[in-house]
Amino acid sequence: MNWIRWHLLLATAALPAFGSRAAESAMTSGQIDQAVRVESLTIPMPGEFFAAINKIDRPNWKQLVRVGTPEATANRAQIALVLGTLVADGYIAVEAQDGQGVKNIGKEIINLAKKLNVSQSVLGRGNSINDFAENNDWNALREELEATQNEVKLDMFEQKDSNLVTLVSLGAWVRGTELASDLIERAYTPEAARLLRQPAIIEYLLEQIGSLPQGMKEDPLVAMLRATLEKCLDYVKAETPSEENVTQLRAAMASMEKAIATGL
Amino acid sequence: MPPRPLVLWLWPVWLLVVFFSGLFAQVGPSPTPAAPDTDVSARSKALELAGAFSNDGYKIRDGYWPGEIEPNRPQFLEVNLFSGNEYWFSAAVNPPGRKIAVGVFNETGKPMDFQTYEDGQVAAAGFVPEVSGRYYLKLTLLEGEKAQFCLLYSYK
Repeated sequence: MNWIRWHLLLATAALPAFGSRAAESAMTSGQIDQAVRVESLTIPMPGEFFAAINKIDRPNWKQLVRVGTPEATANRAQIALVLGTLVADGYIAVEAQDGQGVKNIGKEIINLAKKLNVSQSVLGRGNSINDFAENNDWNALREELEATQNEVKLDMFEQKDSNLVTLVSLGAWVRGTELASDLIERAYTPEAARLLRQPAIIEYLLEQIGSLPQGMKEDPLVAMLRATLEKCLDYVKAETPSEENVTQLRAAMASMEKAIATGL
Repeated sequence: MPPRPLVLWLWPVWLLVVFFSGLFAQVGPSPTPAAPDTDVSARSKALELAGAFSNDGYKIRDGYWPGEIEPNRPQFLEVNLFSGNEYWFSAAVNPPGRKIAVGVFNETGKPMDFQTYEDGQVAAAGFVPEVSGRYYLKLTLLEGEKAQFCLLYSYK
């Protein structure tokens, strides 16, 4: 029976190891400094934020879906920011399981992307969004919204328009945070407020704005965004932001979102 | 700790399959030799692992972290996580890398408690943060030589 024992041993040795672990020693400051940031992973998408909100108290997402067409503008920075806010709105419509809302938002995203001269492959994403919305495939829609945003950003990089990439992320973050802080302000709990603790994201966005060309930094809208982010950093530093902090953050995000939508 | 995906609870079945396939291998040689491992990219291996978690409701983010790793030179990635969400970070390495591990640290560099899955060239860390904010993922090449890796990010 040696061969049976041999096969058992072989099968057991080939087993994947599952377990629990606290990783070995702490990271050194040098290792913390050398950590890389990959924007498509380091910055959370609104869907991730909303998943955390749903665990605390599922909001009435249907009431939060926005309708309407963004105001026309020729300012490329503003277009990129609005495009980001629309991506966040797309996630809200997905949470609300509002197929027509997702289709409308997808159409607006593609219209704005056209103004930024993105490639045909991005435009094809609009059809995918429609198809998934028709089939109520909400999980696929979440992935498609993120993929669309990433493809727009990739196109911007390839067209040497990388300055706009940060603005798309910024727009999505502003709209997502505006909505989250509004919901948390209405029914404050420390547990919910802890979701807003995001100083590293604000620091990252500020660094990215700091690296924009001087001309773009002087754009009144971008300058306002920078000043608002600097102010908001104080509101989200505590492990549990206070009720007052949440109110201040919500007010700042709402005025920033309004400025993005209407221009200055 | 995030619950193990259903697919990964099935390892006893898999053990029996390996055992009995071994018995049948005594009878005659397999008609289809295994494809060389080098044909499979790190990203597709990581996707295969992350796919097991998505069967349990985890959504795979569209982005990924590719790079090169060598022994004694771990790689670190900064991520921002939300308390209450559950995460799995799945990674894979191409040959000549043989074994990797994924670790999770908080913003001060303190090691966190997390669930592990390690199977040679693929590994994953499952983590539920108690505090929202910045964390670091550590990717270590435990065995093998300098190789390409890919890390994917899933949440629910």
